[in-house]
Amino acid sequence: MQGAKVLAVDLTGDAVRAKNGSMVAYEGTMTFKKLTGGGNGLRGVVTRRLTGEQMAVMEVTGTGTCYFADEARDISLVPLHGDTLHVEASNLLCTEAGLRTGTTFTGLRGASQGNGLFTTTVEGSGTVAILSTGPAIGLRVTPQTPLQVDPGAYVAHSGRLTQQLQTGVTFRTVIGEGSGEAFQIRFEGEGLVYVQPSERDTVGGRL
Amino acid sequence: MTITVFDAHTLPADDNVNPYAFSVDLQGQWFLQKGKMIAYYGQISFDGIGHGPLDGLVASSFHSPLHASDWVVASGKGRLLLADRAFDVNSYDLDDGNLTIRSGNLLAFDPRLSLKQSIIPGFVTLIGTGKFVAASNGQVHFVEPPVRVDPQALVGWADCPSPCHHYDHQYLRGFLGGVRHLTGIGGASGEEHQFEFTGSGTVLIQSTEKLIAEQATGAVPDEQGVPGGSPRWSR
Repeated sequence: MQGAKVLAVDLTGDAVRAKNGSMVAYEGTMTFKKLTGGGNGLRGVVTRRLTGEQMAVMEVTGTGTCYFADEARDISLVPLHGDTLHVEASNLLCTEAGLRTGTTFTGLRGASQGNGLFTTTVEGSGTVAILSTGPAIGLRVTPQTPLQVDPGAYVAHSGRLTQQLQTGVTFRTVIGEGSGEAFQIRFEGEGLVYVQPSERDTVGGRL
Repeated sequence: MTITVFDAHTLPADDNVNPYAFSVDLQGQWFLQKGKMIAYYGQISFDGIGHGPLDGLVASSFHSPLHASDWVVASGKGRLLLADRAFDVNSYDLDDGNLTIRSGNLLAFDPRLSLKQSIIPGFVTLIGTGKFVAASNGQVHFVEPPVRVDPQALVGWADCPSPCHHYDHQYLRGFLGGVRHLTGIGGASGEEHQFEFTGSGTVLIQSTEKLIAEQATGAVPDEQGVPGGSPRWSR
């Protein structure tokens, strides 16, 4: 790890998958191979095309150190131990080769975020590098303490969580007296939610 | 970098979570600028200012009527996380004091403080005792007058008289400087004009010259003697 905006990965003949074009430098010998369908083969090609959760991924193999960065956004490492991380494709930088990626349906939350109805999942054991505008903050959700998150600040989540869209839209929103916090995602259950200290421009945020 | 994990109890109370996010321990009401909430635990509702039940609160601590559509009141109990486009955020305590700040930089404030439109366009003034949260592009530095500040680096000032303009006359009057200033040929150094502070107090400056977008503070009353107003019967 080099600061919080560049990720250094030491490779000894093994592979990582990274967002296409995110390599900024490398030492040693590396080969870069573009993977179609987010690295899920033909099925991935089809589902990603269908769901619009596009993800251009490359596989990096070699020996040496490879440096990854994306528009000076902050990078955080999330360790996975057999569980599943749900993350927006635009927030995913790099995964260890042993991890499986896929897509799932998110429902209305995705629509309010302007990110589409689907999200990317990462499963298995290993480390995932996620991107955020400003350092990500992890927030634990327990059955006693549900969490509400602004859709624009949401980055990723893991654990057994159910999410639902909560609206504060009233007739006042319609007459232009909205609160600017018209939509929130409510997380219930047991798990972790990662948020960033900034907001994407969302449909909900303008109400 | 590994991510620090917080839960509803370990989130700091009225303190920074990291340099870019602030956690408010909400017990009652707070004023927030629209869209700065990123997450919360507990029961909190957000209402635009100008709703019936909030009239009393607005009357006592909000005196910038035309600016009201940019603000919401968060009411309830819980921990509220605030952030603004990954800018640095800081909280400040005012103790029976006053502070004037660029309107776009103010994120949230305690309703014990009252917010007023400043006589200086684009600025608002907070008066009283209480806490507020403000953003800056880069870290904030505190300096004491007498000081001259680059207009783009100024965030706000507390307790001292409002600033005046200062021009580097020597430079503007000199032949080369004058030609450059008038024609723009050769470029100006960009440092011929500053805000000058005198008296005693504190001036807040940010560490870049890139401003945070301003929030409209609303038009001022259209009457004689009000700076920025256009009196109908003057002249």
